[in-house]
Amino acid sequence: MTLPQFKFLAPTNLDEACALLKKHQGKIKVKAGGTDMIVRLSHRAVKPDYLMTLKKIPGLNEISWDDQGGLVIGALALLREVEVSPIILEHAPMLARAAHATATVQIRNMGTVMGNICNASPSADNIPTLVAMEASIVAFSERGQREISLDDFFLGPGRTALAADELAIAIKVPAPAPKTGVSYQKVSQRSKVDIAAVNIGALVTLDGAGNCARVRISMGAVGPTPLRARQAEEFLAGKPASAANLAEAGRLAAADASPISDVRASKEYRKLMVEVLSQRALAEASGFAAGN
Amino acid sequence: MSDNQDFSVVGKSLPRSDARIKAVGAAQYADDIFLPGMLYGKLLRSPVAHARIKSIDTSAAEALPGVKCVITGADIPKIKYGNWRLVPESQDEYALAIDKVRFIGDEVAAVAALDKDTAEEAVRLIKVEYEELPGAFSVDEALAENAPVIHDEYQQQTPNISLDRKISYGDLDRAFAEADLILDDVFTVHATSHAYMEPCSCVAEYDHDGRLTIWTSTQAPYFVQCLLALTLEMRENDIRVIKPYVGGGFGGKMEMRPWEFCAAFIARKLGRPVKFTLTREEELATGRRRHPMKIHSKVAFRKDGMILGKEFIVHLDGGAYNSMGPTACFLCGNFGAMLYNYPNYRYYGAHVYTNKPPAGAMRGFGAPQALFVAETQMNMAAEKLGLDPIDIRLMNAMETGDEIPGVATISSCGFKESLLKVAEMTDWRERRKNLKPGQGIGIGCYSFISGGVFNWFNTRYNFTRAEVRAFDDGTVHLMTMASDIGQGCDTVLRQILAEELGLKISDIRLTAADTAVTPQADLGTWGSRVTLMAGNAVRKAAQEIKEQLYKMVSLKFDLNVIHDMRCKDGKIFPANRPDRNISFGEAVRMAQRANRGEPIIGYGSYTPRNKGLVTPAFSFGAQVAECEVDRETGAIEVKYMTTAHDCGTPINPMAVEGQLEGSVHMGLGYALCEQFIMKEGKTLNTTFLDYKLACAEDMPPGVSVHIDTYEPDGPFGAKEAGEGLVSPTAPAIADAVYHATGYRCMDLPITPLKLLKGMKKI
Repeated sequence: MTLPQFKFLAPTNLDEACALLKKHQGKIKVKAGGTDMIVRLSHRAVKPDYLMTLKKIPGLNEISWDDQGGLVIGALALLREVEVSPIILEHAPMLARAAHATATVQIRNMGTVMGNICNASPSADNIPTLVAMEASIVAFSERGQREISLDDFFLGPGRTALAADELAIAIKVPAPAPKTGVSYQKVSQRSKVDIAAVNIGALVTLDGAGNCARVRISMGAVGPTPLRARQAEEFLAGKPASAANLAEAGRLAAADASPISDVRASKEYRKLMVEVLSQRALAEASGFAAGN
Repeated sequence: MSDNQDFSVVGKSLPRSDARIKAVGAAQYADDIFLPGMLYGKLLRSPVAHARIKSIDTSAAEALPGVKCVITGADIPKIKYGNWRLVPESQDEYALAIDKVRFIGDEVAAVAALDKDTAEEAVRLIKVEYEELPGAFSVDEALAENAPVIHDEYQQQTPNISLDRKISYGDLDRAFAEADLILDDVFTVHATSHAYMEPCSCVAEYDHDGRLTIWTSTQAPYFVQCLLALTLEMRENDIRVIKPYVGGGFGGKMEMRPWEFCAAFIARKLGRPVKFTLTREEELATGRRRHPMKIHSKVAFRKDGMILGKEFIVHLDGGAYNSMGPTACFLCGNFGAMLYNYPNYRYYGAHVYTNKPPAGAMRGFGAPQALFVAETQMNMAAEKLGLDPIDIRLMNAMETGDEIPGVATISSCGFKESLLKVAEMTDWRERRKNLKPGQGIGIGCYSFISGGVFNWFNTRYNFTRAEVRAFDDGTVHLMTMASDIGQGCDTVLRQILAEELGLKISDIRLTAADTAVTPQADLGTWGSRVTLMAGNAVRKAAQEIKEQLYKMVSLKFDLNVIHDMRCKDGKIFPANRPDRNISFGEAVRMAQRANRGEPIIGYGSYTPRNKGLVTPAFSFGAQVAECEVDRETGAIEVKYMTTAHDCGTPINPMAVEGQLEGSVHMGLGYALCEQFIMKEGKTLNTTFLDYKLACAEDMPPGVSVHIDTYEPDGPFGAKEAGEGLVSPTAPAIADAVYHATGYRCMDLPITPLKLLKGMKKI
């Protein structure tokens, strides 16, 4: 299919980009890698008058770490860069796993983690781990800069808390507390290279006694936005990550999921997979936390 | 039996003759063709599954700037068409709907405009008023009492059964009476997409002298030529069909289709070239597909494992039109009785209309469905009788010389050898007993045809022809309508010709699949017919050339006895006196000089005669799948595939290997992940995001061996390779899954949900 007509904008700095965004509010779409946006354009799912690329803005592809501030992933950091980044692999290896689980290497060489987030698909591979790790989005506009917690970022499929004049310029991931482990688990219809039918991100921080001090579980593709498994999180708090407790947490997570049946999976399968995958994610995360 | 060692070209893994042009991206497919003044076509398809068309208003579309033509069923000759010309009432399609629409996607109108966007917009501006009718979306719904009649203009004995077939031999009742074990099961198998890489595309042009040329992505140029002539009310010879490079077909491109008709009709009407190219969404939502079937199979065994008989009742869910369904219905009955000796057999197959996109020919043509059932039941019987699945097969396996009563004689067969080979290669007996939980190993087998003998297209020509012209520079020109659609026959036919004439591949110019130029006979590429049939025709044409040239050797060396002559390494010589040789080119020169300059031309044709009802030759093989199952998520990973197969002489082993890998890929998708998600006749997964083709990363490693046989009816002993192999994969994987989990799949595909339900986890 051919692309519809639009004006292509390629600002070279953030101020210029924000000015354009404000000027053409409602008639402009933003792209980074374009792997979702170009498809949506050619299918006429979106019909903007202007398409603005961020690709000409220097510095937006940074991946950096500092012990206090944690991890920063710029809006233009490619999925493939995150997948293989030594910084990510050292400090947040599950983000690399999630990036690796996204589409094919050809797509990962074009697409960005930020794009995967801002596309706000409930099944996005990179969201659950970032939610579990309490990541936030740095939003930039002429009005200034603010951070939006990922917990509050998703409003519905394809809808985010970004204001019409705001650009998402970076992902911030706080440095994990000591004795913290993270896991990303996914099932899909095809064994490899596939969109998730269900995915789970989990973070477990253990206390001195080896009990779960803090647990965060994010569930993808089981609701209109990524959901937190709050009952399971609360249940595990203060308890050891025993097989029985994890099994109960899995059941509670499934109770918090509200999946639908669609072409990718049925409601009953998704519920069961939340139970299975959250147990697996919690087991792996608590294992990492304990240093196993 | 084969004399492989003596071959110079045949049996060699030569690179494909189209490898380079495709690798550098220079091969022209239909959509790469741009003609001056060309218009872009787009079809309006029905959004409803079953309805009468009350009115169509095209005025807004016609008024759109850039639109040059809008046609509907009212504008075209009211002529139905279909591939089964032998049975006129089976021809049930109009190029554009005239009275009714019968599935979501049925073609209703066509637009030609200056550009694609305008054509698309114009299609949206056409207003159609439908009177919706109730629909039938499964075999059961279509055969229920008071079911909506989908083709109400025909007298049908049973409403919605367009055609049926019966086979019966032996005394089946007695077999069941004497049986120690009777398996009586109902299976369902699903539709899958051909998913050829190149969506259908064509460009039509109408000359000033009243002749039509169409470049089209087809497997069967001759069918397109004949059916365009019928529906356009033109003479066949005024229509030239050219097959450019084609990006796969798998059975999905062997009929004349509405866009070909519309391109030709509009090109004739306007005098401007017209191109139609389908989108992937159109292909997946409305395209032909593999037949879903409901199969009731009842098999009688003696307690030692001997098969006594089988009753095989198949209802094909044909969708809205016959398409190639009658052939699938016909062949399913044959495949139901293949591989093993069924002394008593009864088949009833019925092709059932439903309000869904029509199913058509697809790689295997009824075999993947019939053999999934037959092979699964062999595995079930082995277990029930306490036998090894390979032993029960060996006991019943067909052999060379076996006869299927009144149907076929097996002229070459490497089935038992295939079974023994896979058992040895996989350490079957040991591994079947000792695997870890979640691991499984299973077996499936196949047999397939090497082209059909039944003339359902009712051609008045030979089934295939070849013409070879020889030149005094030592080259030859092969002309054939055999159609390379990616499977490699352009290379394989050159190999056969080069072998026969003692030339090199590079000495052969090939012109293929152009109805104005290449010999006016060939039914196309389907049913694994090309290597055997076109290969035989090419050989015969080459032999005619040789007869003309051999005389020249006798003349030159003044030989006074008839010698056994040879063509090899570009030379012609008596077998016992290789020193008395002349070059191929010199022989041509001499022969021409001796006959007033007449060109040296050889003609060859092949039409199977006295080869039973099905095919001249059957291929055979066995495949073992090893898999690992995640017993909590139901995810199945196929770890390894081992194949032993008998394709006679592999003319090009590398091409055979490519076919094998492709068929494992297709069989894997059929077994595990490919399916159309349908709701009330609407296909919900219309992109490759949600239609789950197996990816490269899903492909298991594997190994395959050729069992050495020699097919007496095939060129240099060759027979079918690559199509039949799509059949064993699903039953082998299903058996491995059963071995790993205890879940026996009777309802393809094996999805994680079905598996978990089977394991009582949900």
